[in-house]
Amino acid sequence: MKKYINVQSLIKFTVFSIFLTLSGFTYGQEDAAKGKELFDANCASCHELDKIAIGPALRNVRQKYDDEWLIKWIRNNVALRKSGDERAIAIYDEYNGAAMNVFANLSEADVLNILAYTDTEKPEPVGDPEVAGGGAGVDPFFNNYTKYLLVVVAVVLLIVFIILLRIFRELKQLRRQAEGATYDDAAQSWWAKNKEKFIIVNPTITILTGFTAFAALLFLPWFFWFGVNKVGVQQGYAPEQPINFSHALHAGELEIDCQYCHSTASYSKSASIPSLNTCMNCHKGVQGLASEDGKPSEEIAKIYAALDYDPEGKPGERFGPNKKPVKWVRIHNLPDLAYFNHSQHVKVAGLQCQECHGPIQNMEKVYQYSSLQMGWCIDCHRTKGVDVENNSYYEKLHASIKEKLHSKDSAQYAQQYFNDGKLVITPAMNGGLECSKCHY
Amino acid sequence: MTNNKQYWKGEEDLVRDPSFIQASKNEFSEGLPLEEVLNESDFELSSNRRDFLKMFGFSVSAVALAACNKAPVRNAIPYLIKPDDVTPGVPNYYSSTCGITGMPIEVKTREGRPIKIDGNPRVKALKGGFSVAGQAAVYDLYDNERLKKPLRAGKESNWAAVDKDISKILNNLSTAGEKIALVSNTINSPSTLSAINDFKTKYESVEHIQYDPISYSGIIEANRMTFGQAVIPSYHFDKADVIVSFNADFLDTWLLGETFSVDYVSRRTPGDDMSKHIQFESALSLTGSNADVRYPMQTRNEGMLLVSLYNELAQLNGVNQLPVVGQADVAGQGVKKTAAILNKAKGKSLVVCGSNNPKNQGIVNAINSLLGNYTSTININNPIKRYAGSDAQIQSFAKDLAAGAYAGVIFYGSNPVFDTPYGDSIAKGLKNKIKLSISSCSNLDETGKLCQFVTPDNHFLESWNDYQPLGNLFTLGQPTISPVFDTRQMQVSLLTWAGNIGEYNTNTLADKGIYGEKQSSDPYYNYIKSKWAVDDKTFNTYLHDGYVQKEDIPATAPSFIANAVDMAASIEAESKQNKEGIELTFIEKTGIAGGKMANNPLVQELPDPISKVTWHNYIAMAKANAEKLGVKDNTVVNVTIGKDKFAIPAIIQPGQANGTASIHLGYGRKVAGKVGKGRGVNGFASINGGEFTNYTVQGAKIEATSEEYKLARTQTHHHIEGRDIIRETTLDAYKKDKKAGNRYEKPQVVSLWYEHDYQKDGAPNHLWGMAIDMNKCTGCSACIVSCSVENNVPVVGEVEVRRRREMHWLRIDRYYTFNNVNNVDYEDAVSEVNLVATSADFEGDKITKEKALKAIDHVEAQSTDPTYAHYENVSVVHQPMLCQHCGSAPCETVCPVLATTHSTEGLNQMTYNRCIGTKYCGNNCPYKVRRFNWFRYNDNAQFDFHFSNDLGKMVINPDVTVRTRGVMEKCSFCVQRIQSAKLSAKREGRKLEDGDVKTACQRACPADAIVFGDLHDKNSEVRQLFQNERAYSVLEELNVKPSIRYMTKVRNV
Repeated sequence: MKKYINVQSLIKFTVFSIFLTLSGFTYGQEDAAKGKELFDANCASCHELDKIAIGPALRNVRQKYDDEWLIKWIRNNVALRKSGDERAIAIYDEYNGAAMNVFANLSEADVLNILAYTDTEKPEPVGDPEVAGGGAGVDPFFNNYTKYLLVVVAVVLLIVFIILLRIFRELKQLRRQAEGATYDDAAQSWWAKNKEKFIIVNPTITILTGFTAFAALLFLPWFFWFGVNKVGVQQGYAPEQPINFSHALHAGELEIDCQYCHSTASYSKSASIPSLNTCMNCHKGVQGLASEDGKPSEEIAKIYAALDYDPEGKPGERFGPNKKPVKWVRIHNLPDLAYFNHSQHVKVAGLQCQECHGPIQNMEKVYQYSSLQMGWCIDCHRTKGVDVENNSYYEKLHASIKEKLHSKDSAQYAQQYFNDGKLVITPAMNGGLECSKCHY
Repeated sequence: MTNNKQYWKGEEDLVRDPSFIQASKNEFSEGLPLEEVLNESDFELSSNRRDFLKMFGFSVSAVALAACNKAPVRNAIPYLIKPDDVTPGVPNYYSSTCGITGMPIEVKTREGRPIKIDGNPRVKALKGGFSVAGQAAVYDLYDNERLKKPLRAGKESNWAAVDKDISKILNNLSTAGEKIALVSNTINSPSTLSAINDFKTKYESVEHIQYDPISYSGIIEANRMTFGQAVIPSYHFDKADVIVSFNADFLDTWLLGETFSVDYVSRRTPGDDMSKHIQFESALSLTGSNADVRYPMQTRNEGMLLVSLYNELAQLNGVNQLPVVGQADVAGQGVKKTAAILNKAKGKSLVVCGSNNPKNQGIVNAINSLLGNYTSTININNPIKRYAGSDAQIQSFAKDLAAGAYAGVIFYGSNPVFDTPYGDSIAKGLKNKIKLSISSCSNLDETGKLCQFVTPDNHFLESWNDYQPLGNLFTLGQPTISPVFDTRQMQVSLLTWAGNIGEYNTNTLADKGIYGEKQSSDPYYNYIKSKWAVDDKTFNTYLHDGYVQKEDIPATAPSFIANAVDMAASIEAESKQNKEGIELTFIEKTGIAGGKMANNPLVQELPDPISKVTWHNYIAMAKANAEKLGVKDNTVVNVTIGKDKFAIPAIIQPGQANGTASIHLGYGRKVAGKVGKGRGVNGFASINGGEFTNYTVQGAKIEATSEEYKLARTQTHHHIEGRDIIRETTLDAYKKDKKAGNRYEKPQVVSLWYEHDYQKDGAPNHLWGMAIDMNKCTGCSACIVSCSVENNVPVVGEVEVRRRREMHWLRIDRYYTFNNVNNVDYEDAVSEVNLVATSADFEGDKITKEKALKAIDHVEAQSTDPTYAHYENVSVVHQPMLCQHCGSAPCETVCPVLATTHSTEGLNQMTYNRCIGTKYCGNNCPYKVRRFNWFRYNDNAQFDFHFSNDLGKMVINPDVTVRTRGVMEKCSFCVQRIQSAKLSAKREGRKLEDGDVKTACQRACPADAIVFGDLHDKNSEVRQLFQNERAYSVLEELNVKPSIRYMTKVRNV
């Protein structure tokens, strides 16, 4: 597992914190953004803000307890309980004696930051995949996107309505004429009588109309282009899964190697979602926390149910016949027209999972980190190096590059092949941008 | 022109029919059928600017709306317990045996689904190549019209109930001693035969009747008469210097066509070792089209010609001749020449005959004996076991059944109501009060429909089985998928009814699985294993290899014990009967397996290797006869044979002997799925049954009608417009000059393009190329089917083929050329027409038409021969044509959206998601190999050929995009295979070896005619072939630098 610092997300967090500061959500020097980081790292495996997880829900916990007590409790709840604090014993009993870890490493300031985070207001629930991304890659425009569109549609409908009204009037007029009625000035519409005023007499309105039309002409293609570019892009998509599997716990805290579960990533096209027998390697033994009275935790029980496993049963007969597969929700949906092979990138290129999947070790709920758009693929193919030196497959390519670097044009080639003093042969130099490398 | 021969694909091409020329100028036969499509939904509309704007506006808003829509939720369902040997995304390969052709195969599965069948490369005789029927059979597995449950009185039932009833009735019949027949095609499976024996032991009144729709009982009887051994000997075409065949289509449908092709082609490389092949036949067969010398012959003269051949040879060898007078016609003269050639190759020659007449076959045996071939090219000690059916048995069965002599009948994998001459009487017998009738058909067929019970058999990819194709060769079949429907292997059904399946039901798999999953051994697996009686390790080795080759059985010459004089006399007597009318022969068609594969869309859409007709059968007539009757291509004719009368469309077939006509068997299914039902005419009904079924009927009366049935025929689709694309020479010329026939003055090369670095020799990249040997290509078309299965090429149906919209990425162009034209000037005249027509092409249509017509008159005046002898005597070249991956590709320069571009590996890439369907590329391709997707074939009820239903979609290769409507597609050189082979090499950190990448067509080719590889690899086979003297690029003068080179055809005339 490689530590991964993402500049983009840092910037986002900074922006987020500035936003929060300006909104007056913070108290003194407390920093909710830092608090979120600390919360995710330390608390998230047992607590959620709005839902009782292993421990209680923590949003607005300050309304129940004062800061001083909270700092003591969080930093060393065991000591607080031993000191005979009533509130401490009560909360311990309420959660069936599930012991909370001791967080002596957190400073008072850290705890206050975390508490500041628990004070943040609950965000509006939004169904859009772009928004559900756990704080990453949210485009505020698209929150109100549908609203904008409705307004546009309403305007269009209004125009249609006016036009229809006019047609109706004209037709009435024509019928009258056909019936032999003389052309009567009085029957003319208000518009017919006054239109000259608007077009010639009132230049302001004319200019205004022209300007609006011009703006619409400019806006529409932009609108179209913007729309086209977002079709099928699900960056930030974080659907609910049938089992709330936490990568933050397994990959982050417990540091289980990605390929222990996604074992086919190094030799198959797909990294594959692990089958439940892989889960059972550990979860035959690990059944949940002590707080659950020895009963399997809710999520682990789902594994058992799927496999029809009875942990209490007689050894050898614990697995029953009524197995039910788990319907995971696919997060990364590459279109069928693009061929992607995990082994190519994991085994041959030696990339870390995080380079495409983001800080997966911190994800409580997995979201799509990258856009998976073609430009995103190409960027990498233009910059990342291929290990031509240690793979015999590239022997000929390597030899020809060496030859070029020793030729009389070596200076020119050096510029092409060297980056920061290192030989970098990108996939692009070896045909990695050609269509049929991925589309067939 | 590199030689002065004129090559033509069809009549319209030969006579430069003006309307045809006009039509062939357009790459696409018609424009977008927008109105038609819209009309169908009661939507009258003519497109104009306003509609365009409407559509445009709609699409803009649709895109905007789509953008704010939530993406659909897609699920991913992993294995609950992942099997050790299945990895999502990685194919598995299993050895097995094809249930249709009986050949050893290798099955490719993805995530447990079989998606491709190829020949087993470990079996030397096959080299990995495999035939049309076997390649296509994988589609049948996913046919959603297969029977899903056992039927009882036509209604779905369940196995327990059906088994109970059947066992009860069987018991009753058996105790009462009433006769029960078990009717099957030849069963060459030792274990199945033993299961049948178990069944017969339990029910003693069961009688096993074996027949074959295409019978070889004549050969078996002849060998019994002449050598006292009732077998079909094995033939070795690789050991023969001279091959003479009388009506035997040994490269395609006769006996073991795939194996024979491999052997035959191994001796077709030009040089001293090249064999000579002489063919006497009435209909132009695939084998005949490959012959060096071909004599058209009427089948009724076959026996007499054989006797003459014997006499000629006898004379040359000073042996007593048979007392019969020989023939003096063309074929008769041919026999004389042939005898001399054969006599020079004594002991290294082979004479075969396709007849089912034991007397003709007896004379053939006499000839081979005389030539001493029984110790070299024929091995009677190691017989072919694929066919052992008896015509006499099925004939008497049909008679007895109709008379009510049988109380029960079980049809095991056979459909005699359709594929025997006794269909009517068997149907009548089944409709009578028979006490028990069972059929094991997996799709309801003509026989199954009349049975009380249908106990559907598994597909062979779901079954365990073993086979014995040759005396010393055994193959094993293993399932590669669990039964898709609630079907059961017929062997298990038989054992169940015999009551002894119980002892094989024990689970021999040691371990129940630690997750409590159901894991049980198939009872029939246990049964086969018990019959093979070898330890687990040996059995698993056999299973892994797919076959067991026992030690060679040496050939010894049997002594000839028959009376050849009597045989000759009876042949002479027969030949004198019935010489009136047209002689009509019913022949087999590539891939359709006598009707068994008639419901397979791939087989139906495959153009016949010779006539290039798809989806229908037809009567092939000689030009002289057709002309006399006023029959043209597509004319519906009434055929009367005795009391039998049917209407069938006709074609004029060059090479068809005068006075003969031929019709393909396997069509005219009355009860079949949507694909096969009601296509064409069933020829089996018109065949004369008898002790030895005679597939030729004499005295057929043919009358033209005014009706026309437009056959979906691809022969002149994608027309090359008379350009010089075929090179051929004779073996003698080749021996003198290796570049014979391939001397070609290259035009001065002026190119707009610089040579790219990657094209230069020594560049570090791969440069893919393909070499196709026209001397090895027999035209068998296995490559087309293989390509279609590998690349998800859709089937488009008869109507669309008529519109020139077939989607095959690879086609085989078949060219005719006249041999010895009676009128010497004919060729000149033809080329004159050609000149006139082509030069006039530039002067507007009117002049073209007039001039062309005038020139045609000229030709017709010159060819005054009313017998059209030159039409009978054509030679044929097969040329596989696929995307040539040109180095300077004309298609690439005209694409407005860069959807087709070039890769640094020399591939002409087609990017479907970029393509907007302008079709400019197709118009600019000189090879006409680009195909346009007119419809969404994979999701359109109008194209209900497997891809449009969920089950059928299981056969789709997940590594290849399923193209949608409105894009161009074409051969990709199997880029998915290239990429996957490269990736394997990269993962293993090794160089890519020659042979690591095999394209689907190459893999399927039994003749090894296609070689693919890296031209930058100094040791690659394809690089050697590119430097061969025979190598040439098609349309080299265009300087498009194709990546495919062809090898000059060399005929050993």
